[in-house]
Amino acid sequence: MAMQDTKIIGDSFEVGARFQRYWDTSMANAFFCGELGAGLFFVSFLFDFVPGMVTGMLITGIFKSFFHITHMGVPMKSWRAILRPDRSWISRGLIGIVFYLLFGTLHSLNMTFDLQASLGLGTAAGNLIQFFAACAALVVMTYQGFAMSHSTAISLWNTLLMPLSSLLYALTGGAVLTILMGWNSLFAMTTSGQKHLTSETLLLLLISAIVVASILYSANNRSRGGKVSVRLLLTGSFRQPFWYLVTGAGFILPALLLWVAPGNFIAVLVAATGILVGYYSYRVLIFKSGVYEPMSGFR
Amino acid sequence: MNDPQPVQNSLKSGRWIRSTCKMCLHSCGTVIHITDDGIINKIEGDPENLSNNGKLCPKGNAAIMRHYDPNRFKQPMKRTNPKKGPSEDPMWEPISWDEAFEITAREIKKSLDEDPRKILPSLEDFQKFNIWVWPLAFGNFNCFQSGGTMCGGAYHPTNGYIHSAFAAANDVKHCNYWINNGTGDGFSSHLHAAAQSNWVANARIDRGMRCVTVEPRLSTSAAKSEEWVPIRPATDRHFALGLCHVMVEENLVDYKFLRKDTNAPYLVGPDGYFVRNAEEKIYVWDSVENRAKLWDDPTIQKLALEGTFEVDGKECKPAFQRFRDILDECSPEEMEKITTVPAETTRRIAREFFAAADIGATIEIDGRTMPLRPAAYNYYRGAQGRKMGFQANHAFKMVNFLVGNIDAPGGHMGVTLDDQWVDKSHVAPGENGMMMPNPHQLGPVPPFAYPPNTYHLMDYFPVGVHPPHLNLEVFLNPGKYGVEFEPDVMVICHSNPLWAMQGPREGWFKFMASMRFIVVSDIIPTETTQWADIILPSHGALESWNMTMIEPPHTEGMCMRQPATEPLHDTKSEEDIFYELSERLGILEAYNGVLNMAQGLDHKPELMLEPDKKYTDKEIADRKGRLWNDKGIDWYKDNCAVTERRSDKWYRPWEGMRLHFYIEDMLHQRDQLKKKMEEHNVPFRNEWHWDDYSPLPTTRLDPVHEEPEEYNLFGMFFKDIQLNFGESIGNPWINDIVYRDPVHIALMLNPKTAASEGLKAGDIVRVESPYGKIYGRIGTSEGWHPDALGVSNSLSRVNIQHKGVPHAGGHFNDMLPYDLRNTDAVTGQPETVCRVKITKLDDWPAGLKEGLTVYDLVDDIQKPGKGGRH
Amino acid sequence: MARYGMVFDLRRCIGCNACVIGCKQENSLPDGMFFTRTLSEEYGVYPAVGRVYIPTLCNQCEDAPCEKVCPSGATYTRDDGIVMVDADLCIGCSSCAVACPYDQRSQVDKDLFEHGLFGTDELTPFEKDGYQRFVPGTIVKCDFCSERVDAGLDPACVVTCPTDARIFGDLDDPDSKVSELIRERNGKPPMPELKTRPKVFYID
Repeated sequence: MAMQDTKIIGDSFEVGARFQRYWDTSMANAFFCGELGAGLFFVSFLFDFVPGMVTGMLITGIFKSFFHITHMGVPMKSWRAILRPDRSWISRGLIGIVFYLLFGTLHSLNMTFDLQASLGLGTAAGNLIQFFAACAALVVMTYQGFAMSHSTAISLWNTLLMPLSSLLYALTGGAVLTILMGWNSLFAMTTSGQKHLTSETLLLLLISAIVVASILYSANNRSRGGKVSVRLLLTGSFRQPFWYLVTGAGFILPALLLWVAPGNFIAVLVAATGILVGYYSYRVLIFKSGVYEPMSGFR
Repeated sequence: MNDPQPVQNSLKSGRWIRSTCKMCLHSCGTVIHITDDGIINKIEGDPENLSNNGKLCPKGNAAIMRHYDPNRFKQPMKRTNPKKGPSEDPMWEPISWDEAFEITAREIKKSLDEDPRKILPSLEDFQKFNIWVWPLAFGNFNCFQSGGTMCGGAYHPTNGYIHSAFAAANDVKHCNYWINNGTGDGFSSHLHAAAQSNWVANARIDRGMRCVTVEPRLSTSAAKSEEWVPIRPATDRHFALGLCHVMVEENLVDYKFLRKDTNAPYLVGPDGYFVRNAEEKIYVWDSVENRAKLWDDPTIQKLALEGTFEVDGKECKPAFQRFRDILDECSPEEMEKITTVPAETTRRIAREFFAAADIGATIEIDGRTMPLRPAAYNYYRGAQGRKMGFQANHAFKMVNFLVGNIDAPGGHMGVTLDDQWVDKSHVAPGENGMMMPNPHQLGPVPPFAYPPNTYHLMDYFPVGVHPPHLNLEVFLNPGKYGVEFEPDVMVICHSNPLWAMQGPREGWFKFMASMRFIVVSDIIPTETTQWADIILPSHGALESWNMTMIEPPHTEGMCMRQPATEPLHDTKSEEDIFYELSERLGILEAYNGVLNMAQGLDHKPELMLEPDKKYTDKEIADRKGRLWNDKGIDWYKDNCAVTERRSDKWYRPWEGMRLHFYIEDMLHQRDQLKKKMEEHNVPFRNEWHWDDYSPLPTTRLDPVHEEPEEYNLFGMFFKDIQLNFGESIGNPWINDIVYRDPVHIALMLNPKTAASEGLKAGDIVRVESPYGKIYGRIGTSEGWHPDALGVSNSLSRVNIQHKGVPHAGGHFNDMLPYDLRNTDAVTGQPETVCRVKITKLDDWPAGLKEGLTVYDLVDDIQKPGKGGRH
Repeated sequence: MARYGMVFDLRRCIGCNACVIGCKQENSLPDGMFFTRTLSEEYGVYPAVGRVYIPTLCNQCEDAPCEKVCPSGATYTRDDGIVMVDADLCIGCSSCAVACPYDQRSQVDKDLFEHGLFGTDELTPFEKDGYQRFVPGTIVKCDFCSERVDAGLDPACVVTCPTDARIFGDLDDPDSKVSELIRERNGKPPMPELKTRPKVFYID
């Protein structure tokens, strides 16, 4: 068989790359909100920054749930998604979300009202709550990436870099939002903390970019379908949003701004917007450019 | 899953009935499931019926969507928009049946009383010949239906000469080497496609039958064959002659067959006629005694096939020698210049074909020992639709003649149209030991007349099937053909000539606009119903009765159609409609008379129709059933009347007669026609192509090869099984599969050709022939001959009121000629390939930007997301 | 207990898609939905070029990726090996659809029944009757016509196939036609590298 460019066939009855058409924008919205919220929670958690934690939980709890239910074919039965943690990352993630919201809320309350003291529970209980909240937030940041990476159907997704990229994007987004939210409060006193976090955000951005590049690189080398996805993103029909939004707005612009003007609120605000636009575009495009492998093995 | 009721349609509570498919003209047996609520929800192939061998093709599977099509005509209607045009809304107004009949009968009657020749019929329900023959009731031989040219204008008459049958097929039960040339038989189309492809697949896989497909495109047949031989369009005859050359040159010939079973040894004089004595008996040459004898002389020792002799002072040659002389100029090297098929390929295939034919082998079937010739050359429309169609057909038959496989087990078989009654024979003895030629397989043709009595000049095609494209030629050249009447009324039934006729649409539009009155009986809107004044909606195939059997290879019998539901709408059967019209027109008695004869009812007098009675579809079906096997319609409800074809009818039914290797009748027909034309001073007689009348195929090129150089490619048209015999697009299930198939969604070119034309896949183009033009989008595939531009039938529709039909950029047939220059003077078969040139456009022309086009649908399917919905 | 499988004879298949329409008929599939598709692939360079037609449907994998990712337990495998979706349990998250490497699952969109097969915003009686089987929003797929199989019949696509290119039977029975064909003509499962262990095999 001639190794020509693999044909993209939509729903034609040909052998070629078929578009994934089940996880669409509402799913991308849900992934974005879930990860971003958990990322914000997690970074704020590290700084004991309650407004950030609460906002993170609200983003996850309200928006992610909303978009998930929008996506769900039978919303009234969505609760059933919790039933199979033994095999399904969706179930595990849903349990993670419940834990994250539950323990995150407890932790926030504890931070605000010092519940453990007033209830006389001792530090162990508080630590346990913290631990569960943090772990659950980690699960929420990554499980969607795991769910995708478990799909052998779609080469672009089928890599452990997928949950890693979820984690990195979530943390980057969370960090930059934490910086913004804490501009006049949290970091008013500790500018060194802000500096550190900004440098760490820059580092996360860099690693995140490398991971995205690696995802494309590995997809391109893995299979015909992977090649098609990469072609779609780099030179094909999604090249403009990929280069302008994911790369330009999402990595280059914020990196420059955070490097050149880390102390300038407007610059950081613009950088944060860029990061979120890039992140969101990435989430949408990674679904849109996912294709099934061309049928093979029959001859 | 808690629901105890099944969800799959075939298992729901309801009943199954036995019936017959009508999604194409062939009559496949079906079983239909009807739910307790009266909904038809599943149609399967009748597992017991050999007519379909238990199978059903995609079209048959889609019949339910035709039945429930919301675009169906739901009651009689009259046009209220006096303006007529291809995109004029007729503004239908529902009327009563009585009013519809009254208007229709009144308008037809005007012409009938004035001059019946002014009526143009297009009655094309191929499963109801009882409707087809209606015009004969008032002596009208006009023909506005496309059937003849779009299938086998030359094919059917040739089969009539060679097999005394309507069609032909290879004997799949014994064939081991199957050449398919310009046909999908056994893979995608033509005779009983479901059954035939089943038998062919079994032969290929279980018996190892080798298939070779000769075609300009990698068709389904080519894709499944062991070998695809790409050929330049419109050169198939030359390929066949190249094969014959090799076979004769290398003695790869069944001489015994030619001597015993054909007229190949008959001596032919310089005038081309057989050499006869005073009693009209034909001479042959005994090469042992080296003298001429009469053909039935019992002392003949060995018939000469070759040589030049003298009889009664006249130089003469055996017919076979005449063919040899022609073949002298048909070396594979010479033919390669025309066909592009490498000479070595031709030589190899000729040898393989001969070897597979196993000359000398015999087989005993039902106690009869016969030659076994398991190699056969099959062909159809793609190869035979030539200006010199008769010669093309004859050339293909010659390949079969040379190995003695005509009607032999494993060979190339005649297939009857309709057997009518169990013991009817389709062959009869003719003169001088030969079989009676029977070219008029579709009934009588009009006698010669000048001025002509038919508008399409059928008066001058004594051998042919109707050439309806000449209606346009005559219309656009008033006066030239001496026609003394102007047609003004059209009666159309289950026919879509405005879609199917060849020649530019603009011409046909003018033709239609010149009609005073057009009545159409059909079930859904088409390009033709668009022009109607009155619509007489008929029952669908799942609401009506019928009894038929169409062109069954390998089988015989009758297939009964019965209603699966009450009519969904206020419709009538075609019988009800035409009987009612007959009565109102005062031709009822004549119509019944025609039916008694044409349907063969006069064979069993008790079945004959009474002169002044109207009959229902069920009564007609019942009679046809009784005619076949004396069983009434109720018997057919419970029994399958289709059986394997009896071997005495299938194999060499002409045993003891000689076949027409040399078709001398061509010269009789030519000279009689010439004489009559001279006598009547027919002004266009010098334009008549007398050379087309040849008792043997020649190498003369078809005029499509002589078009101006600028038309550098050959445009050709094709179908596959989803589009077999029309009536498909607009059915959502058919659309579903057709527009997902890469073959059917673009104007196809070989990539190298596209590159040399400066084109790439996706380019919008205008394609022009010397006769017309179309628009479309280029697709490329390695499966195309570099000289060909291929256009699928799926790209042929125009905007009509049926919302499910996406329009394309014009019909390929627009680019085909409709003139005498491109019409076989023998059979009326027009050329079906055209020369084209391609021009790249920046955008679609106006008119193709609006509305749903095929290309919109295709783009929707190919884009991300859930595309391709209707 | 039988273990059902299907063999596709690529030498027989003529790509006519009668199976596709037969399936749509049998299962009242809404617009744009297919439980089986016959693909085509062209290979080679003119004139040495060929085309193969490849029937596809749910491979009823032994090690079904769709079943593994189903969070609600809707996807399960019957004792006879047919992979089923219980519409009562399905939540329509479509995880299974993106997990199936063969793209053999479809979602019953909520708007799927609005426009009808003719796009006229009305349903034909055939559709009205047939669509009752679907729970909007759920995921559906080929189940080898399990009801027909339970009734001792072959799947609808198999009975209509003009060339008998689809052969259905018991993979555990060494004497079944499917076992014989797989053995004698070296049946290959689709995309074996994915280790899904399909119960569908191709022979050519």
